[in-house]
Amino acid sequence: MKKEKEILKWLNNDLSSKEIEDLKQSEDLQTLEKIAHYASQLETPKVDAQTALEKLKARNHSKKKPKVRTINFKIFYRVAAVLVLVLSSGYFFFYSNNTSFETQIAQRKTFTLPDNSEVVLNAASKISFNEKKWANKRTLTLKGEAYFKVKKGQTFSVKTTDGIVTVLGTQFNVKERKNYFEVHCYEGLVSVTHNNKTTKLPPGKTFRVINGKVENIEDFYATNPSWIQQESSFNKIPLDQVIAELERQYDLKIKVDGIDTSKLFTGSFTHADKEIALQAVTIPLKLSYKIEGKNIIFYNYGAQ
Amino acid sequence: MSDDETTLCDENHFRDFYLKQVQSASNFAYYKCGDGEAALDLVQDAFTKIWENCSKIDFNKAKTYLFTSITNLFLNTIKHQKVVLQYAKDAPNLDTNNQSPEYLLEEEEFKQKLTKAIASLSETQREVFLLNRIDGKKYREIADLLGISQKTVEKRMSAALQILKAQIENI
Repeated sequence: MKKEKEILKWLNNDLSSKEIEDLKQSEDLQTLEKIAHYASQLETPKVDAQTALEKLKARNHSKKKPKVRTINFKIFYRVAAVLVLVLSSGYFFFYSNNTSFETQIAQRKTFTLPDNSEVVLNAASKISFNEKKWANKRTLTLKGEAYFKVKKGQTFSVKTTDGIVTVLGTQFNVKERKNYFEVHCYEGLVSVTHNNKTTKLPPGKTFRVINGKVENIEDFYATNPSWIQQESSFNKIPLDQVIAELERQYDLKIKVDGIDTSKLFTGSFTHADKEIALQAVTIPLKLSYKIEGKNIIFYNYGAQ
Repeated sequence: MSDDETTLCDENHFRDFYLKQVQSASNFAYYKCGDGEAALDLVQDAFTKIWENCSKIDFNKAKTYLFTSITNLFLNTIKHQKVVLQYAKDAPNLDTNNQSPEYLLEEEEFKQKLTKAIASLSETQREVFLLNRIDGKKYREIADLLGISQKTVEKRMSAALQILKAQIENI
């Protein structure tokens, strides 16, 4: 094929009939002409486009179906049921063994912990701990005031909202009231963590925080807290805290009339006699009081 | 052809595209595998692929994508078969005036030689040659469909012609 380009053009219908004639003159195209002609007569299988389209659609639909994932609810429910069971039993196993002791106003309770440590709970206080875990972890939560005689053993922790008191084996008193946090150490060594600061208390030392302020307290010589002997003692304590303690030991509501409650009080009151207790607090501070049913009103001596 | 926002994800567009292309796609597949049913299967698979990937395919390149898919699917699945094509029943002879039995016989013989020769072409040569002859496509169109240059199409066409001519004249 000499005139390759022209032949290609011819088969591409790019030549005019004049040019085709010229091409035929110059080259023997008989075979090629036949090839070109008869090749065009060849047939391919005819496709019924509409039917084929329908088939395609049907196929695509049936193919896409398995892609839709439906949640198998039977399995889902089974798994859910097992989960609920495991979680709830786990919850009860680990959390529901919290034992708690509580005292009401004017009450006092003494009880022993699983390791035979002794706890005396002052009025309106609450203690809770996990009995199951006690062997591994001697931790309890305290709200209020309690005196502890801890048997020697692992770390013993008392959690309060104001700080954590940690000991190994000793006797100590923790008092956690509104705006008031106090720890007395009677024996051994007590470690108090308050606001991430740890203080070590040897016997006779006190750690006291009032209204968020840490106070320096002089040593004491008592071997156990006075409230164990039916008496509340105070050493330079603001009057409002003393009043709060009075309210807890006697079922009272104390109101003040024209008194500065930040006055410091040093002294004690008995838990046995209301009258004497009230006098013990008011007289040293030059106050008077009157009783109106359950309510007591404190006022400056001679003001009324 | 169409604005840029036309996509094949629109069912109407897809249908139009399908109806327009299915025959030539089927032809193309047939040139490759020589089996009508297998060819249609290939074509349907290729269209399915297009439907599934409709958002990724540029509408203007869809034809090329279709033919490329057919080629790839063919390479993946179909075993090579001898491509033996049939002539249309009432296909006219080149010289319609010459009705002598001799001439008719001669032409019949030529046709048989041609189908054999076509079967002996390489796949790429055959598809170019038949796309041009049967589907009447221009080299430019074929080049677009196959995603190759027009020059390559012309080379393949030229080679096909030479082989056919040589084979027919030798037999």
